Amino acid sequence: MEATQIEFWYWWVLATGFLAIELLAPGFFFLWLAVSGFVVGSLVWMQPAVSFEIQLLIFSVLAVASVLVWRRYFHAKDQQSDQPLLNKRGAQYIGRTFNLVTAIENGQGKIKVDDTTWKVQGPDCPLGSKVKVLNVKGVVFEVERCGEATEPGK
Amino acid sequence: MGGFSLFVTVLFAFAILMVFMSVKSVPQGMEYTVERFGKYINTLTPGLNIIVPIIDRIGRRLNMMEQVLDVPSQEVITKDNAMVRVDGVVFYQIMDAAKAAYEVNYLDVAIINLVMTNIRTVMGSMDLDELLSRRDEINARLLAVVDDATTPWGIKVTRIEIKDIAPPKDLVDSMARQMKAEREKRAQILEAEGLRQAEILKAEGLKQSAILEAEGRKEAAFREAEARERMAEAEAKATMMVSEAIAKGDVQAINFFVAQKYIESLKAVAAADNSKLILMPLEASSVIGALGGIGELAKEALNKKG
Repeated sequence: MEATQIEFWYWWVLATGFLAIELLAPGFFFLWLAVSGFVVGSLVWMQPAVSFEIQLLIFSVLAVASVLVWRRYFHAKDQQSDQPLLNKRGAQYIGRTFNLVTAIENGQGKIKVDDTTWKVQGPDCPLGSKVKVLNVKGVVFEVERCGEATEPGK
Repeated sequence: MGGFSLFVTVLFAFAILMVFMSVKSVPQGMEYTVERFGKYINTLTPGLNIIVPIIDRIGRRLNMMEQVLDVPSQEVITKDNAMVRVDGVVFYQIMDAAKAAYEVNYLDVAIINLVMTNIRTVMGSMDLDELLSRRDEINARLLAVVDDATTPWGIKVTRIEIKDIAPPKDLVDSMARQMKAEREKRAQILEAEGLRQAEILKAEGLKQSAILEAEGRKEAAFREAEARERMAEAEAKATMMVSEAIAKGDVQAINFFVAQKYIESLKAVAAADNSKLILMPLEASSVIGALGGIGELAKEALNKKG
């Protein structure tokens, strides 16, 4: 297996190739391979004597390790968005106040939100009471009572 | 050494495969469920996610955006036995990816069937006229029922709209006829009202004019009577004055007047055109008598002078 000496350039070319594929193909698979390629290339540049098998081994371990490292340290930070409530319809209503259109009995009632009705869970209240949305559980709001009954259905 | 090389090569391929298996990027608007050994464990939210390769698999890919389903057209029998064709749309959004993935099989089919059967239920309890005029109420009732029914599936039905209600052609024709008749009836009633009003106004006018005329006549009669009264009064007064004058003076004085009248009458008779026959309905002696009276007066006057 005495092939031509693998130069560090080969790894960097491979890494750049992975990055180019990453740009074109969706899915973020090749990013980690590119990172590993650059690291291995840098190692070969410093230690040219390392055999090709070891280089491959290091590359393989690094590819998996980079994913794990990212998950441990950057996963939470990376999920920033200027629209954190996008596609979380229920969460958009947390903190807002609505009137009951169906009295809460046995912990179950309904409120009118915009042009539709939502189910709510909370303490028993008469029709028309003001309730505040605290939390969303699936398609049901958890509410607390925050006002006396006014005109129902508003 | 050959074995080691082979192992390293296989390891290299395996590492790449591991990366492929464990890195899952979820686009915005989607959520993926993760199954560990086939059992659901969690849901991947949009962004870059890492799953444990080999033991974890992506189960279902769910669209978390609000979606529209067409409710296919169907025949519905109303309460008053009219057959109508009805179609509609349903808007829904998955709120709980896990429930939508595993609580129900073929979510779209389930929703559409639920809506279709409920459309029959709601519309079957209404008359055709109500059906056509109270769509808001139909939509609200459908939404309430379907939303409750779909809650266990982790979806929120935001609205249900009935798109088209099409009664059969003969019914549409008779509805048009009914509307036309209704409008004609209104027109005829209005015309009749107009005529009636006009007649009433005319009669009122006639009545007013008759009353005014009668009032005029009454007024005239009153005035006439008054005039006659005044005249009689004047006559009486004149007679009184004459009598008084006679009482004061001579009886013969009256004869002067009488004689004057006689003479005037005679003159008129004589001046008549057909004077071949002269009627003398009065005694000539009276005239002569009167003249005598005048003679007496003359005498008296002369005596007074003398």
